[in-house]
Amino acid sequence: MSEKPIKGQTKEEHCETEVKKRPAVHIFPEWCKGCGICVAFCPKQVLEMGKDQKAHVVYPEKCIECALCARRCPEFAVYVSGDSIKEGKKKNGGEK
Amino acid sequence: MPARLPYAYKYLRAKKKFPHVWCPGCGIGIVMGSIIRAIDSLGWDLDDILMVSGIGCTSRMPVYVDFNTLHTTHGRALAFGTGAKMANPNLKVLAVMGDGDSMAIGGNHIIHASRRNMDITAIIVNNNNYGMTGGQFSPTTPQGAKTSTTPYGMIEPDFDICELTKAAGANYVARGDVYHVIELDGIVKNALSGSGFRVVEALAPCPTNFGRANRQGDAVNMMELLRDNTINIAQAKKLPEEKTEGKIVRGVFVDRDEIGYIERYRKLCDRVSAEVKK
Repeated sequence: MSEKPIKGQTKEEHCETEVKKRPAVHIFPEWCKGCGICVAFCPKQVLEMGKDQKAHVVYPEKCIECALCARRCPEFAVYVSGDSIKEGKKKNGGEK
Repeated sequence: MPARLPYAYKYLRAKKKFPHVWCPGCGIGIVMGSIIRAIDSLGWDLDDILMVSGIGCTSRMPVYVDFNTLHTTHGRALAFGTGAKMANPNLKVLAVMGDGDSMAIGGNHIIHASRRNMDITAIIVNNNNYGMTGGQFSPTTPQGAKTSTTPYGMIEPDFDICELTKAAGANYVARGDVYHVIELDGIVKNALSGSGFRVVEALAPCPTNFGRANRQGDAVNMMELLRDNTINIAQAKKLPEEKTEGKIVRGVFVDRDEIGYIERYRKLCDRVSAEVKK
């Protein structure tokens, strides 16, 4: 995070955006088989299928760390950093 | 290098066997994740757990997890699990079975394990057919569904796993599905943390065989079907019957606190040894 603050932005605001930009969701490509479940059921459309038929993190700043992608991944290829994976209902985004 | 699942190295045989053998979009991996998360939240020692399985897609699960594991003959997971539990009652025995494994060839074992209230947790992954051998019909294939051995539609009625084990006397019976994965996590955790025979039926998609034969689309479409065609038991009670018709009810059906087989056996041993000493 070596970027300088944009003009007119306070240090706090800068730090906040930086925290949001940090990717919370990681895909381990060697284990991904490209079933598309994580992409289809992400409540914030953070992920997209790439041309290599594997999921990719496209909009990491949108991620709310609900960890539904990691829970629904049959291949154990998605990892969401943060504690929300164990917490359960606290941050569940789109489960109906 | 992205960080992998923090529990991957603790619970999975990650360096040897991955990526696993199941097809893309198969629900068995999600159920395995649920089991691992449940055990992680219970904080059990890996050496105290025994995972038993029979033959089939689901029964490949012990290959990938780093517990004590036992891969046995077709349908006999519960029989071997009963033996292991009797020999070492301190083990937490977990039997993972598919629908064909548990209901067809192992049907008798599940009925009698329920009757005995044997202290085993049975996780039954129901994907409506025999996935490993090419998509033949199983006792849980819905009536009218097409499989490779019923190309014009299944004419037999299907088994309801939950009703069957409930009637046979299991302590805990619940149904979840892999779309509602947070609910499934909770159900599996409850099932693991109690005594007596505890059954979880987890509905899972089989896109390669069942989905293709019934033109249900890919894994994502099959997950959407699970979302639309299932209903929680609490919601189902509130709604009128017309709205819940044709939907699969999920949730906890039975949560009894009967004495399990191991406890009864221990009491018997105490009683008889006291009589002999007299």
